[in-house]
Amino acid sequence: MSVYLLQTVNGIGIGMLYFLLAVGLSIVFGLLRFVNFAHGVFYLLGAYFCFEAVRQGMSFWAALLIVPLFVAAVGWVAEKTLLRHVYAKPHEFHILITVGVALIIQELVIVQWGPLGDSVAVPSGLEGVVMWGDFIYPKYRLFVIAVTGGLAVLLWWVLEGTRLGSAVRAGSESPEMVSLLGINVFRLFSLVFALGAATAAIAGVLAAPIRGVEPFMGIEALAVAFVVVVVGGLGSFTGALVGGILIGVVQSVMSTLWPEGARLMIYVAMAAVLLLRPNGLLGKRG
Amino acid sequence: MRRNIDIAVALGIVVALPLLLSSGSLASEVLIYALAVLGCNLLLGYTGLLSFGQGIFFGLGSYTFGLVLTRTGLPMPLALVASIILGGLAAGLVGIVSIRQKGTYFVMLTLAFAQMFYFLAYSVPSLTGGDNGLLNIPRPPLSAFGVVLWDNTTAWQFYAMVAVIFLLVFVALHRVTTSIFGRTLLAIRDNEVRASAVGYNVPRFKLLAFVLSGAVTALAGALNAMMVGVAPLANAEFHVSEMILVMTVIGGAGNLAASLIGALFYVLAADWLSTLWPRWLMLLGVLLVIISLGMQRGLWGLIEDGFLALTARFKRTGEIRVEEKQV
Repeated sequence: MSVYLLQTVNGIGIGMLYFLLAVGLSIVFGLLRFVNFAHGVFYLLGAYFCFEAVRQGMSFWAALLIVPLFVAAVGWVAEKTLLRHVYAKPHEFHILITVGVALIIQELVIVQWGPLGDSVAVPSGLEGVVMWGDFIYPKYRLFVIAVTGGLAVLLWWVLEGTRLGSAVRAGSESPEMVSLLGINVFRLFSLVFALGAATAAIAGVLAAPIRGVEPFMGIEALAVAFVVVVVGGLGSFTGALVGGILIGVVQSVMSTLWPEGARLMIYVAMAAVLLLRPNGLLGKRG
Repeated sequence: MRRNIDIAVALGIVVALPLLLSSGSLASEVLIYALAVLGCNLLLGYTGLLSFGQGIFFGLGSYTFGLVLTRTGLPMPLALVASIILGGLAAGLVGIVSIRQKGTYFVMLTLAFAQMFYFLAYSVPSLTGGDNGLLNIPRPPLSAFGVVLWDNTTAWQFYAMVAVIFLLVFVALHRVTTSIFGRTLLAIRDNEVRASAVGYNVPRFKLLAFVLSGAVTALAGALNAMMVGVAPLANAEFHVSEMILVMTVIGGAGNLAASLIGALFYVLAADWLSTLWPRWLMLLGVLLVIISLGMQRGLWGLIEDGFLALTARFKRTGEIRVEEKQV
């Protein structure tokens, strides 16, 4: 029984990372009506920048702070120079241009760091496990749950409690109206896009010591983020949270029951949710 | 008139490939991927559905063909038919779930299903060979009642068979796209709400297009397995879905001959550039960005514009001559 408890806690840890991955995608979609297929490579960049920073002797803590800013800058530049020009075009071109950007970045990563993966050491102070009675759990994974939980609260506060958050939420309803109220919508778009890139990068940094780095982790993460928003409901903060944890727990528990099929089961879970609730668990109807 | 031009272009390329290329497998590869691109184009160009899941049907076609040939005694044409049928059925399944969603939601679902198929193929090694793939798929001759009709031993013999299949599918899809069914798909692409208001059952039309596309793509997958002799797990990877879509977009959506151009461009570029620079995919990324920003009709659009500019110049010089005569 304690195996399942352990796997459930593990699943919550993975699920919080999935939430962090998906929430950026979801917020960007809510405001820009634009599914960012380059979201996965922001996660990839986060992980690789962290790998490089640690290799250069920087502490993991500094990397956790600085890398997301770097990746946010990459996202900002991509939005300003390229993506902005396709907003008025049909949605196929939104997808194609982000697929193009994703390909370019992924290939650049391979040019820089090679096609093979590598591992990132668990930061000092977080090695080993904690023990409460017979419950044993890696320290680093507890840390990930704590950090992502804190970030979830922070993001929720930004969205619900600040002027920026109101602008984002209002912009999701009607960008024209928001711009009539005197808010520079294009600046808001860039800002939110950069924020989305930063959240994906944080997920990448946090995931690096757990699963290492390899050049194709971006596409995998993108697919998982899609599953999470499809399950939770696109454009919904709580949906991303619920979907992320659900998918994380499914994957983690299934990896004890059927290790080869654990990855498959998260897609089966998605298909099941879709058949029962086509708009996701917390998605808007219509 | 338009129709005949497209078929003429396809026929011209099919005949020209053996004259221009020294490798029969490379030429076959062009036509095999062109088949898959035709399937993708039917969705993207004619129905307005952008599918990231074409790799499902390609991979399924490979596996089905391999399994039927290695595990049963059925003849090769029946193995191809089995791949086509299973591809259509799988497309029906994926379609029923994803067609209910519109726009970007649909795209995300097709990608998620592509990943699902990959992990499915990975987790049943007894059928698919898992990581190793399905090995030792034979390339039998085309025979009926023990009489060999067409030998497939050399690469060029195989090319000839693929070429005939390709042209048959091409003409068939042409008839489909110019039929009332095809015109209805175009109406759905251009204005779904209006098509539905006029009384068309939009989801049923989309589903039919999806099934057709899945069947054609599975045929391409089967031919691919037959050519290389294995059905690798890589055939079910996301990369295949992406590649088929990229070929479609580069060629130009909404025109069948453009699909052949897209596949031709991609396969030849891959063949030439991958030896020079393994990271040539980056160039494809740049090309995708350029197409999204301003070259939305792809290579076919470029060719068409070039052709129009050329004929316009001829016309103009013709007009001048007429004027001179009048003077």
